[in-house]
Amino acid sequence: MAAEDYRICSFTGLKIHKPTEDLIKWNTVTAILFLALGGLMGFLIALTRWPSVHYLSLQNYYRYLTLHGIDALLLWIIFFEIGLVYFTSAVLLNTRTVIPWAGWTGYALMLVGAVFVNFVVFAGKADVMFTSYVPLQADAVYYLGIIIFAVGALTCYGHFFANIIQAKRDGAYKHSLPLGSFGLAAACIIAVLTLAHGAVIMIPVFFWSMGLIHYIDPGTYRLIFWGLGHPSQQINVCAMVSVWYMISAFTVGGKPVNEKLSRTAFVLYIFFINVASEHHLLVDPIFSNWHKIINTSYMMHLAVFASMVHAFAVPASVEVALRNQGYTRGLFEWLKKAPWSNPAFSAMALSMVLFGFLGGITGVIFGTEQYNIIRHNTFAIPGHFHGTVVGGTTLAFMGFTYLLIPYIFRRELVMQGMAKWQPYVYGIGVAILSISMMSAGSFGVPRRHYDITFSGAPFSFTFDPAIDMFMSMVGIGGILAAIGGVMFILVAMGSIMYGKRLAS
Amino acid sequence: MADEKHGDIIEAPGVLVLSFIFLILFVIIWFAHLKWLLEIWAVE
Repeated sequence: MAAEDYRICSFTGLKIHKPTEDLIKWNTVTAILFLALGGLMGFLIALTRWPSVHYLSLQNYYRYLTLHGIDALLLWIIFFEIGLVYFTSAVLLNTRTVIPWAGWTGYALMLVGAVFVNFVVFAGKADVMFTSYVPLQADAVYYLGIIIFAVGALTCYGHFFANIIQAKRDGAYKHSLPLGSFGLAAACIIAVLTLAHGAVIMIPVFFWSMGLIHYIDPGTYRLIFWGLGHPSQQINVCAMVSVWYMISAFTVGGKPVNEKLSRTAFVLYIFFINVASEHHLLVDPIFSNWHKIINTSYMMHLAVFASMVHAFAVPASVEVALRNQGYTRGLFEWLKKAPWSNPAFSAMALSMVLFGFLGGITGVIFGTEQYNIIRHNTFAIPGHFHGTVVGGTTLAFMGFTYLLIPYIFRRELVMQGMAKWQPYVYGIGVAILSISMMSAGSFGVPRRHYDITFSGAPFSFTFDPAIDMFMSMVGIGGILAAIGGVMFILVAMGSIMYGKRLAS
Repeated sequence: MADEKHGDIIEAPGVLVLSFIFLILFVIIWFAHLKWLLEIWAVE
């Protein structure tokens, strides 16, 4: 590989391979565009669940809810993760991406699949929501789009392994990968298992939608779908935790206090985090009670233990780094003097708090068998996963974008004042949204439901009047989060397109 | 992020204390929340 294909980053000193840089740029920009679309859908849904606004029509509500799940949960996050795949398997290792055309093939497949799915849902032929539970049936193009996207994503996740094997041959690392790359390796291992489940169930459903197969058993579909649906969130957890470590390293020079322990925690994720998906199947007759209890009441906590290790290790890395910089007065001078106005750092800090308290703790509680039976299919569950995926993963990825803009795009951030406030506005909005959803869910408000007054139904049901307040807070939290989201899009896309060019 | 052990938990006493504060807060909030839930669900 010619030396002119590389440049040295003036901020990090990392050697950056030009084709790798291009792959990161395209995946990141595509991710941000899908976040904008998914976020817009989320905003409209929040306004609809606000009882006194109830904005969308019945038909558009379920259509936009499907798109919100696809664009915000799947496309934004996976495109961004593919950018991370190349960052951690090449840039962080000071090496190159092997066979770059494989990366572009994966990207093209993902984009084609994403466009297919968006198009068919907008056309009103796939109002099946993110889970697309059988016997709900979408147009064949929807399933085809999902399959094409998954093949593309699998190509890119596989590319990670090709890169690190080549990096080892090139002597880019000796014993084990740096922690940021190690976390992404865990994410890629889970991704391969997850996408294999996707193939097992989505291919027959695709044939079913074309009339080539006449029956798909709903129980079997649910069982295999959740081998795809929930573990895909565990890919996000691994990628998010890696991003925490990397932001700590890049913003304050943080190094894990005990790297072996952090690595062990990632390995625990690979082995145990997927069993968390069993709570989707607690009322299904497929598994025995023993199986359900052992997974949801015992095994799940090994993954929880891993999260607690990271929850301690990342802030500890920040504290040690800041103490080494001289902030040693008392117990908390380092906390006071931390770079809170750096949006990458504040996004990471808020992401940890929101993920841990809103998403993590509630996930442990809701995932437990006895409790899950009460909360399942209530609004509390979206409250939980907006804490994990939005407050946690999305906010962490937003923070990392603020680093990618100077490091990879070589642009200066525009509207820096707005960038400084963005993580706080978004984080507070998501916190209000998530807490309100969980509170309303405690009163039995169902998730996904367009009309919880059941108007026109032959029976009536009246919720506790307190839910009006919580459902209104969902709308207010949604508006605040949408403002934070718009601020992010303006700063990120404004910087990428119009930011001052930085010398390499 | 070199592959080595960089220190010990005692090097991060602030985080250790914060963890205990959060733990105590969590226990208080959790039990207050539980009491609230029992009222909502009218458990005798």
